[in-house]
Amino acid sequence: MKRWKKKSPLTMKKKESILGFLLILPVILLIAFVVLYPIIYNVKISFFDVALNPNKPDIFIGWENYIDLLTDKEFYKVLVVTILFVAATVILSTALGLGVALLFNRKFRFRGAARALVMLSFVTPAVSLVYVWKYMFNGLYGIVNYALVDVLHILETAPAWFDNIVFAFISVVIFDTWRLYPYAFMTILAALQTIDTSLYEAAKIDGAGAWARFRYVTLPEIMPTIATIATLRMIWNFYKFDEIYLLTQQLPVIGVYLYKTSFASNDFGMAAAITVILFVIVMSLVFLLRKVVFKKNET
Amino acid sequence: MRRRKIINVLLNLLVVAILIVTLFPFFIMLTTALKTDAASVAYPPELWPGEITFQHFQDIVNPMIFPFFRYLANSFLIAFITAVASVIICSLGGYSLAKLNFFGKRQIHNVTLVVYMFSGILLIVPLFQIFNSIGLIDNRFAVILACLVSSMPAALSMLVSYFQKIPDSIEEAARIDGLNRVQVIFKVVMPLSVPGIMSVFSYVFMQAWNNFLFANTFLSSMEKQTLIIGMRNLFTSQDYVWGRMMVASLLTAIPVIIVFSLVERFISGGRLDGGVKG
Repeated sequence: MKRWKKKSPLTMKKKESILGFLLILPVILLIAFVVLYPIIYNVKISFFDVALNPNKPDIFIGWENYIDLLTDKEFYKVLVVTILFVAATVILSTALGLGVALLFNRKFRFRGAARALVMLSFVTPAVSLVYVWKYMFNGLYGIVNYALVDVLHILETAPAWFDNIVFAFISVVIFDTWRLYPYAFMTILAALQTIDTSLYEAAKIDGAGAWARFRYVTLPEIMPTIATIATLRMIWNFYKFDEIYLLTQQLPVIGVYLYKTSFASNDFGMAAAITVILFVIVMSLVFLLRKVVFKKNET
Repeated sequence: MRRRKIINVLLNLLVVAILIVTLFPFFIMLTTALKTDAASVAYPPELWPGEITFQHFQDIVNPMIFPFFRYLANSFLIAFITAVASVIICSLGGYSLAKLNFFGKRQIHNVTLVVYMFSGILLIVPLFQIFNSIGLIDNRFAVILACLVSSMPAALSMLVSYFQKIPDSIEEAARIDGLNRVQVIFKVVMPLSVPGIMSVFSYVFMQAWNNFLFANTFLSSMEKQTLIIGMRNLFTSQDYVWGRMMVASLLTAIPVIIVFSLVERFISGGRLDGGVKG
């Protein structure tokens, strides 16, 4: 009897741990095959001149891809453009998301509908949005130029938005802010709704005005959420590709540069080297910001 | 009190302004879809079409011009299979991470979180090479696999937080009634988690439906391509027409918007705090 009692919890535990491992196994295998193995494989081919024809052998060239890349001025331009793009979109989309979340957290009529409608630009596939954007920003008959030049007289001549790096940058940043602020909005709104209302009442009794209540009650409560979404947005936007590539060929962020190197120039060895460098950058960001990234998932 | 009222009215006006700016491109999409070719390139641009035409809608569903239904079927197939596979794999994995203890669990959880930050363009070069060497290029399975894994961390994390909210006492009660652990999972936990599972299904469905990079890179033959890629081909072809593009944009967006509106309350109500990637 004693023996059975002693043994039973052990086998239970063992059983549980076998089951736990079996259930997670497909996830592990998929990540291993589709993420981990490709990362290692990618490091390998970054040292090769990859042949276009799969039947021909790749040629080992050592660090040559890296040396070519790091001595190429174009690459530094790409890095600077990417950093500017990330900084602009992270700040704008998070700030706008915060503002709209605060605004939509008040009580007003049709609040539910308004909250859902704001999400539309985030939910709709990027490809569906890119073309209407191109249409609106068209240099000849776009409504944006019409408004800026002929109605508001802000600009004197109509810019060709997607053909010049500065205007391409501006239009992509506007597009991305518009498309992504609902993510910040949604997450911050959820955080706002969890704030205990008694905190506000207590602050009110203490004589705190609207600004003081925001500064000393709301902000500290939602700060971790803001930090998390800004961090994630920063990492994701660092290698953003789809929308930018579809909107304009004139904005060389690192994702587009990488894609063009591999699938337009077919220089897969070089593309692998760019991927490794991008990987190192993203990994360092994750590592530096690990407290913010991982904290969210502990609670 | 009066001042407060004025502020309230101003803030409500601001709400209206934000909605107008956010929804304006959708308005343009709709009106351009209804414009004639001449009106769509007229200057100054018409805000509302003077003459309404449904020609572009007819053109888009006309297989001689655009194989809409083929693309639609392809998109649906890829998104549906990815979502089903994801729900099965992530429910089991999510339960394991939420409720069971085993060696290396923390590390596995952390790896999935790191994967959350890696996807798309970071993997495209090696994945293309690997899929090419095993003959998966121009195979829908390659797209499904890539979409499945890149949406997996978010799906997993949504389900983990959902399962964690199911009290252990319910499971213990079921076990006292004589169910074993596997039966508890399928007969108690999963039925209780239907809303969470449905949300994950929709999330993965949307991600796969919206995917551009993998479909564009891995699929080469026309008859396998998705709506998203078809639309881009329509745009890059010489004889693109704005009206057709806008109809295609609308028709591509509508299924996603419907799916989202069905699960919106689960995702934005803060009930799923696993985070949604975009």
